[in-house]
Amino acid sequence: MTLTDPNTFNANESPALMARAVDLVKSYGSGEAEVRALNGINVEFARGQLTAVMGPSGSGKSTLMHCMAGLDVPTSGRTFIGDQEIGTLDDSGLTQMRRDRVGFIFQSFNLVPTLSAAENITLPVDLTGRKVDQVWFDFLVDQLGIKDRLTHRPAELSGGQQQRAACARALISRPDLIFADEPTGNLDSNASAELLTFLRRSVTEFHQSIVMVTHDPRAAAFADRVVFLADGTLVGELHEPTADAVLEQMKQLGA
Amino acid sequence: MWRITVKGLRGHKLRLALTALAIVLGVTFVTGTLVLTDTLNNTFTTLFGQVYQNINFEVRGVAAFPASGAAGAIRKPLPESILAAVKAVPGVEVADGGVSGYAQFIAPNGKAITTGGAPTIGSSYSADRRLSSLRLVAGKPPSTSTQVVMDQGTARKYHFSVGNQVRILLPGSPQTFTLSGIVGFGTADNLAGATIAAFNLPTAQRLFGELGHLNTIDVITTPDANKTAVEHGIAAVLPAGVEVVTGQTVAAEQSSAINQSLGFFSTALLVFALISLFVGGFTIFNTFSITVGQRTRELALLRIVGASRRQVFRSVLFEALLLGVGASLVGIGLGVLTASGLETLLKAFGITLPSGSLVFQSRTVFAGLLVGVGVTVVSAISPARQAVKIPPIAAISTYEVAQRESSARRLTIGTVIGVAGIGVLAVGLSQPAIQLVGIGAVGLFIAVGILAPVIARPASSVLGRPLARILGVSGRLGRENSMRSPRRTAQTSAALMVGLALVSTIAVFGASLSKSATGTVSDAVSADYIITAPATGGSDTGLSLGATEAVAAVPGVTRVTNVNSGQFEISRSLATLSSLAPSDLSSTVILNMTSGASAKSLAEGMLLIDTTTANTNHLSVGSVVPVTFAETGPTSMRIGGIFKPNALLGSYLTGSGFFHAHFAATTFPVAVLLATSTGATAPTSAAVKAALRDYPNLTVQTRAAFEKTQQASIDQLLGLVYALLALAILIALIGIVNTLMLSVFERTHEIGLLRAVGMRRRQIRAMIRSEALILSVFGALIGVVVGTGLGVALADSLKQQGITDIVIPFTNLVIFLVLAALLGLVAATWPARRAARLNVLEAIATE
Repeated sequence: MTLTDPNTFNANESPALMARAVDLVKSYGSGEAEVRALNGINVEFARGQLTAVMGPSGSGKSTLMHCMAGLDVPTSGRTFIGDQEIGTLDDSGLTQMRRDRVGFIFQSFNLVPTLSAAENITLPVDLTGRKVDQVWFDFLVDQLGIKDRLTHRPAELSGGQQQRAACARALISRPDLIFADEPTGNLDSNASAELLTFLRRSVTEFHQSIVMVTHDPRAAAFADRVVFLADGTLVGELHEPTADAVLEQMKQLGA
Repeated sequence: MWRITVKGLRGHKLRLALTALAIVLGVTFVTGTLVLTDTLNNTFTTLFGQVYQNINFEVRGVAAFPASGAAGAIRKPLPESILAAVKAVPGVEVADGGVSGYAQFIAPNGKAITTGGAPTIGSSYSADRRLSSLRLVAGKPPSTSTQVVMDQGTARKYHFSVGNQVRILLPGSPQTFTLSGIVGFGTADNLAGATIAAFNLPTAQRLFGELGHLNTIDVITTPDANKTAVEHGIAAVLPAGVEVVTGQTVAAEQSSAINQSLGFFSTALLVFALISLFVGGFTIFNTFSITVGQRTRELALLRIVGASRRQVFRSVLFEALLLGVGASLVGIGLGVLTASGLETLLKAFGITLPSGSLVFQSRTVFAGLLVGVGVTVVSAISPARQAVKIPPIAAISTYEVAQRESSARRLTIGTVIGVAGIGVLAVGLSQPAIQLVGIGAVGLFIAVGILAPVIARPASSVLGRPLARILGVSGRLGRENSMRSPRRTAQTSAALMVGLALVSTIAVFGASLSKSATGTVSDAVSADYIITAPATGGSDTGLSLGATEAVAAVPGVTRVTNVNSGQFEISRSLATLSSLAPSDLSSTVILNMTSGASAKSLAEGMLLIDTTTANTNHLSVGSVVPVTFAETGPTSMRIGGIFKPNALLGSYLTGSGFFHAHFAATTFPVAVLLATSTGATAPTSAAVKAALRDYPNLTVQTRAAFEKTQQASIDQLLGLVYALLALAILIALIGIVNTLMLSVFERTHEIGLLRAVGMRRRQIRAMIRSEALILSVFGALIGVVVGTGLGVALADSLKQQGITDIVIPFTNLVIFLVLAALLGLVAATWPARRAARLNVLEAIATE
């Protein structure tokens, strides 16, 4: 099987680093009403790893992800995907980057309601006008167990099925990096476990890089590394975490 | 991406149908007009082709004023002696002369048979069947001086049959004839509703005052003759002022004359069709704006998974394109149906058309698609640009569809477009150039549409206050809903605004026209009675000379003046010359002279002109101008005086002596003015009417009644214009229904909550209705204000053309407002019912 594509990153990019933020600041409002969601964050995400970003509500973990994915514009500081600095890209550059390099999975699934599951999955490829890699598509839907649900509309799928379709959509164009924003937030524990297992496999088996924002220690336990955020600042990290270790760390953060 | 658009459209069928309806109606109107006029066009071309198919050549007088068009041109009659000369030309097999003139049947009930616009034709009946356009379907040709044949259309409608007696109005006194036969015109029952009375040639010559004369000579050549040689041969024997043309030329002239007037009719209808489409454009724009707003999340999601701005822009436009194509195709289909329906309607009015199928040109499809798709796509451009501005992050975080355009920018753009529109409008009105007026008005409407959101919030607040007071919570919520998104309120109202602006413009213009018309009658005429003949559609008025003699004998009638008019050429341009007997001047008309003498000038055969003509042509008393008459040729006239514009007499006036010296003896008067010793009293009226018993086609009116008729004909025209504008209003209302439906849909959750906390269905309905009321009154109010301004400007620009008074019909305008409010309530019915029927539990569950 050639599913492990050796060309998922550019040869001249640093092989170990997938994304990083340098002195990242994001503030809302101004003057006395200014709120600093991110307060000078420096963080690096490794290639071929599942990194979890954890922190209590309002810690800035979602804002961090939005800034790093180019969805939001930081107040100051720089963010990179590979060696590409996000801040230098204009809208079409950002579009190109979303097409080629990043995928997204959201808490609320975010499927297009009028399209079938299959059409939702192939949407990113369809948008580029390229041909869908049928082998890859079949493999994904088979692995995710939604093969027999492909012709259904999102409204006809369970939450878990919807999220797995969204997961397939994120993977279909073989992005360098997937941003997953609370992917299990709306799922029950069984569905969560299935989804996380798949994400874990995609990292282990075909070297997919994933950054996952979550507040669930059990989800974080699937990660290679967990970074902890509090009040817009990086406050610690764990390698090869267990759920208990994560929980312990979270308790210390007062969440 | 296309797939998303197509699927998205399929997912919102109701919204689709309502939006499409606006375009469907407009395109139906356009297509229907084109198909109908093409069909009529083709019908007449075929008909005249048939009628002239056997005739090789026609000999006739040279048109006096080619400018007036070949078919309606004034041609001098030919001396009968030419016929013998033409017959003698080698290669001529048959040559026969014909005359024509005014002849109008009187129905068995004593009333004149009118045609509703088509001419009442009198002609000679050609002995040779191949030469005649008339085809005998029953009886025999007219052979004696008391026989006539009648067209089959009239015979059917009034149940005449061969052998019946029929009375006919003629240039002289009416006479009774025996119906010897019934004829068709080519393959049709009659010529587009015209009546035909045909007599044998000597009778026709006598009746139409053409003894020793012919109007035309039709020629058929021998089968083996060289056509060109025959034509040259005929031309060689003709005196100056007589020409020979081919039958095809005559057929082409006849049909092109009819087609020209059809063209005017078609243009007028198309203008109204385009107005409907313009209003439809507002509806499309509004629907797309709202749906783009509602689809913010979805569009942002597309951006996140890799859609470029261009793709989002195109997807919205593609949606519009699909909608436009679909709606236009439906509209084209309906248009064809409408056209055939209209044809049936014409038949019901007695205008029988020669059989011919509907003409459906590819141009019609093209035009229908072009305007339908064009309006839809252009209207969607701005919403598509709005869609492009949605950032990808809107898919995950609550992103308010911010009113990004600041109201300052809106104010600037709106003002610039508005000022430009008014400028173009002003230039258009002063030129006058109707296209510029149209473009200016469109600009002005768009500007008002852009500016309206700025005042929508305070206006909704004010308009909603009484509702809040009367209806309590429901009214208050309705008011707040319309204030919540002022842009949507304004955009929804904009379509109605345009409709009402046009209606108000017409109302102001019409009221001014009406007032001016009545004003001018009493300023122009002092006679006690005015006798006129309703237009017969032909060049003849049907005011028989016999009638003048009959009323002159009525006791108490002191003066009988014929007002004549005819075409002449002055300073190389065609104009209408009127004439009066100078002796009757003071007792029958009012001429306000600004310089020169009136009666004396008329008596001496000088020309009187009105002040407008004097000013534009820089003429003054004593100027000598070159003139040309059809009968007598070029000469010159001296200006004897200048008078203030007179509605009855037109711009050029001379004495009856001079007039009759230069116009054919058979020219009918356009009106007969009577002065009496008693004034207009009932006994005198009765006596005058009794004297005219033989002339049922004539109308005798006192000055007051004449004024009223003038007014009534203006009102009738206005009624027609209102009816045509009704479609635009209908489309505007569809827009309101659409917006309300979208709002109800959008607020499902909220409505569910209101119901859950105890709001009754009735109250929900009242809430939606309040919103509709605010929307419609807001749009109507702006429309009435803008329209009144436009109407005043329009009336003011026509001051030179005789609009002397500017009247603002306040009562009418208030009625429009009330009607708009009622229609708004009607528009709310369906959305209100839908909102009231929402299942509370489900509604709350929806996000």
